[in-house]
Amino acid sequence: MSNCRAELEQALTERIFVLDGAMGTTIRGYGLDEEATRGERFANSPKDLKNNGDILSITQPDVIGDIHKRFLEAGSDIIETNTFSGTTIAQSEFFVEDPRESGKGRKDPEFFDREVLQNAFLRDLAWELNLESVKLCRKWADAIGSDTGRKRYVAGAIGPLTVSLSVSPDANDAGFRVVTFDQVRDDYKHQTRALIEGGVDILMVETIFDALNAKAALVAIQEVFEEDSCEYPIIISAAVGRGGETLISGQNCIAMWHAMRHVNPLAIGLNCSLGPDLMRPFVESLSAAATTFVSCYPNAGLPDPLSPTGFPYSPEDMEGYIDDFAKSGFVNLVGGCCGNTPEHVAAIAKAAERHAPRKLPQLGS
Amino acid sequence: MPDTIPRYLRLSGSEVYDHTPDKNFLMIGERTNVAGSPRFRKLVQEGNLEEAVAVARQQVDNGANVIDICFDDGMIDGAPMMTQFLQLVQGEPDIAKVPIMVDSSKWEIIEAGLKCLQGKGIVNSISMKEGEDVFREHARKVLRYGAAVVVMAFDENGQAATYEEKIRICERAYRILVDEVGFPPEDIIFDPNILTVATGMEEHNNYAVDFINATRWIKENLPFAKVSGGVSNISFSFRGNNVVREAMHSAFLYHATRAGMDMGIVNAGMLEVYDEIPKELLDKVEDVLLNRNPEATEVLVDYAEQFKGQGGKKQEVDLAWREQSVEKRLEHALLRGITEFIDEDTEEARQKYGRPLLVIEGPLMDGMSIVGDLFGAGKMFLPQVVKSARVMKKSVAYLTPYMEEEKAANPDQKAAGKIVLATVKGDVHDIGKNIVGVVLACNGYDVVDLGVMVPCDRILEAAIAEKADIIGLSGLITPSLDEMMHVASEMERRGFTIPLLIGGATTSAAHTAIKIAPKYSKPIVHVLDASRSVPVTTSLISDENRDAFIKKNEERHDELRLKFSDNSAAKKLLPYTEACTKKFTCDWQTQNIAEPDFTGRKVINDLPLEDLLPMIDWSPYFHAWEMRGRYPAILDDPEKGVEATKLFNDAQELLQQIVAEKQFRAAGVYGIYPANSVGDDIEVYSDADRSQVIAKFHTLRQQLPKKDKPNYALADFIAPRDSGRIDYFGGFAVTTGHGADEFAKAFTDDHDDYSGIMAKALADRLAEAFAEYMHKRVRDHFQFGKSENLSHEDILRERYRGIRPAPGYPAQPDHTEKETLFQLLNATEEAGIVLTESMAMHPGASVSGIYFNHPDARYFGVGQITKDQLTNYAERKGITVEVAERWLGPWLAY
Repeated sequence: MSNCRAELEQALTERIFVLDGAMGTTIRGYGLDEEATRGERFANSPKDLKNNGDILSITQPDVIGDIHKRFLEAGSDIIETNTFSGTTIAQSEFFVEDPRESGKGRKDPEFFDREVLQNAFLRDLAWELNLESVKLCRKWADAIGSDTGRKRYVAGAIGPLTVSLSVSPDANDAGFRVVTFDQVRDDYKHQTRALIEGGVDILMVETIFDALNAKAALVAIQEVFEEDSCEYPIIISAAVGRGGETLISGQNCIAMWHAMRHVNPLAIGLNCSLGPDLMRPFVESLSAAATTFVSCYPNAGLPDPLSPTGFPYSPEDMEGYIDDFAKSGFVNLVGGCCGNTPEHVAAIAKAAERHAPRKLPQLGS
Repeated sequence: MPDTIPRYLRLSGSEVYDHTPDKNFLMIGERTNVAGSPRFRKLVQEGNLEEAVAVARQQVDNGANVIDICFDDGMIDGAPMMTQFLQLVQGEPDIAKVPIMVDSSKWEIIEAGLKCLQGKGIVNSISMKEGEDVFREHARKVLRYGAAVVVMAFDENGQAATYEEKIRICERAYRILVDEVGFPPEDIIFDPNILTVATGMEEHNNYAVDFINATRWIKENLPFAKVSGGVSNISFSFRGNNVVREAMHSAFLYHATRAGMDMGIVNAGMLEVYDEIPKELLDKVEDVLLNRNPEATEVLVDYAEQFKGQGGKKQEVDLAWREQSVEKRLEHALLRGITEFIDEDTEEARQKYGRPLLVIEGPLMDGMSIVGDLFGAGKMFLPQVVKSARVMKKSVAYLTPYMEEEKAANPDQKAAGKIVLATVKGDVHDIGKNIVGVVLACNGYDVVDLGVMVPCDRILEAAIAEKADIIGLSGLITPSLDEMMHVASEMERRGFTIPLLIGGATTSAAHTAIKIAPKYSKPIVHVLDASRSVPVTTSLISDENRDAFIKKNEERHDELRLKFSDNSAAKKLLPYTEACTKKFTCDWQTQNIAEPDFTGRKVINDLPLEDLLPMIDWSPYFHAWEMRGRYPAILDDPEKGVEATKLFNDAQELLQQIVAEKQFRAAGVYGIYPANSVGDDIEVYSDADRSQVIAKFHTLRQQLPKKDKPNYALADFIAPRDSGRIDYFGGFAVTTGHGADEFAKAFTDDHDDYSGIMAKALADRLAEAFAEYMHKRVRDHFQFGKSENLSHEDILRERYRGIRPAPGYPAQPDHTEKETLFQLLNATEEAGIVLTESMAMHPGASVSGIYFNHPDARYFGVGQITKDQLTNYAERKGITVEVAERWLGPWLAY
């Protein structure tokens, strides 16, 4: 794939782009059980795999493909690969015994070196599921793109990991970290390369709740660009709490923009954690601060275990909120995170179509 | 939205620092630089990092916008120390909010520092000392990590000392950075070397002037670039003479900032206010700095003699909060994460409160609750909460020896709790759970963390093996909610009794109340976030607060369930007219309608209390003491048996006294009348010919859609008037409360609350027994009662024909129907029971109700009603809709 940044930038000045909806909560709609998740290939895997959504790209490619197709049909311009946990570290949670279980010790950098990052099975698996996930996206994005005459893009999703570089899990040692920056960076490099190999158009560092984890991902991406002589547009998206700070590392989203601006991202934005109503002030402030495109794909409200999708807002609700964001000139890319089905995305697309995209502010000279 | 965004230097820690023009000078704290602060160096060398971190905090408290951190010292392993220190700092929100300047002359230390910064910091420094290639490579890496950079005015030939050297090197570096590396020019900070003046060497005399002029040139010629410098260098010649040094720093900064210097590494405590420098000293200092005459140095050295050894400006910390009450001080320390005074404040509180535990459960928990509230409101964030927990830990640690002393003196007291934590099966998320673990561990709990993806069995087995006091479940994704329900039902099945805590992003108090709590009969508490975990666990483990806390938690669950049933039921209720078509009915022409042997009213006065004793249902007596279980099984319960037996025996003893001394007087009235239903009302007649309607009762109908069952109203159990048949209806009001309040009060006045509560509980039991006794008597007035042949047990289990629902209870939630009943029975006159304004009966130990004899009569709950029924009901009853709504508020589905 060549770098399609220029055409994306052009298109983003013309209209508001539509991202896709929730992968995790949509998968649950297919009612896959443990056995279906494992497929034949992982039938004998020692730990439960049921909520290992990424592995479905290998064991249930038709389901994942169907979800991509439904989002594309709902109007997504950009779909995200099913690779939220497509790192060796994240996959290890499903395959490697937690040393705490058997009292063999704790998770620490040495554990990750020995049991995870050197684990050929995990590394190969991570590579394969990134590759397969991109292929599934590619297939449907290209097919529906040519059917409808509107080009669709594939963004390689790079998720937040299950470990934090910013917080110590040890009460008696605030300086302790379970992993090192270099370990995280190297694992992200592995994922980045697999996504590029598979043929993504965009790299998307998303659901950032620890900004230092994200920084490691961004360093990884830049190193891959340099070492492999390539370049792809990057989208950065943070998950912030009610105060507008990244959930785990507590960084205000403008502070994060300052700290990540140097990678010259195609877009920066917010996703997950909040519904559009609670996210609004932070989208607004990011929109006023960022000299690049702004994206947002909120949850369909705060988690509400009592509603059918686990999230309370209907497609119409989301359409209303996104309409307001678009009308206010806050956004260039919109979509939905947890609780947003293809119907939600279709409604969001309707709202996006009604308004002009946010105009990019220029950096003063 | 703005069209342009000004090109300022914009830095960040967890918060933003924009170097806008109104901030004329950026102060960089230098006390965390081992080269600048001997104290900091000593702390680091001794490994006392906690104190070293406190130095960083002090810098921020003193107003540093950025803190410079440097470990360049032969005795310190710089790169690991940089990592360790910055990771500690990240746990200190008050410090981590500001941008960090990573300061080293060694690249590997700088890179180690960059790998710890989530924000945009500053690298101090890079230079062309080793040539352009290394300079370029370092600059690229700084850019990759996203930091601003200080460029020292050095090149292959060394340090730029003169004006010409300074501007030549800076310009060359600027061009490489901007044109080749693509470095944002606003992120370039030049340090054109502040060199020491007044050394006695003539060539040094112009150093300050050279710096100031180079600054002016850079600002005019290198767009957006910034200028910085290490200010204290300027005055090294006057080490030990702080008065002069402080004056020199201030005067130098005054002139350099006017030339455009943007920032500097400054000890904020070593700065005099420019305007407050004595005129004579200032003149002599400025003569030196500005190189105004060749003798200036000598003059200043002589003049400076008089100030030698005098302390300079004192460190000023705002300690106003220390003036407040000890509770407020503890709160402040918890909120701000300040450990400095925690021991003395804790000691003061310990003395004030008498017992260490009371300090924890009082002011410390109060403070943590505020932390929880602020966190919930988004005004504090996780690292701050963790920080607060550490203050808590210190305070608890201080109190621990006292608690152990207390424990030794009182060996029955419980030890600190043990908690098993796990992320449930199928879920890999545990960062939040780890934080909960940290917070709990900081508070003295023994935390057993089983990790992630933990199957139910392993959790429960660990809880047994570890003899855990509490189990905590965490989960982030929606399917975890089902797994939590599973764990709860397994705990119930396996007979667990310890509390279960539920936490995690998708969990909610409502879901816990509605879906999880019904699976497990022991306490289940939803914990909103880490900050709430300690108050919850402490309450659950505390002997004193446990019961009240559990009761409150259960009330909260009930509220949530009620609210949920409100919300979910409202949409689904049948319209009233449709519900009426689904009423309970039978073939009234052939229906067996029991006939009584009399109609009218009978009064029972001064019934011997002995007669009521066999009718007492003892199970609710134990419930009154918050002991769950059925009598008599509860007396043999392995856990509660001993306590229950004691309660029961004490009750028997008191009851004997009450009966023997006739402490309570039983009085009651009942009536049986011909009646028919008309719609959902019940007409009561003076005689079987219906000559006169003497009372009209109104009933409410269920509206919840049901498959096979009728939508009941109490009126359904009385033959309709249009059936042509006459039916019978009864009512009663009884009390055993006369004398009970006085009797109980005598105990309480004597500080015997136990007997006081027991006396009231017994009066309640007797009143219920009286109601049961009277119901038996009423049934006996009908044929079926005489032949029912039931044991006391059968009677207590209500295995007889007919029901006696009470107004204000689920089958007829409207309390005001009691008025009709009381008028019909003349209950106030006959039994001395008074209805209060809120329709409560006085004395408290009273029961009233209405009798239905239909063989299929049953208790039910009316549940939610819609506006159409309410309007119809109000009209039938002859009251306004507003009044009806007020009495039926909780039952309205709208």
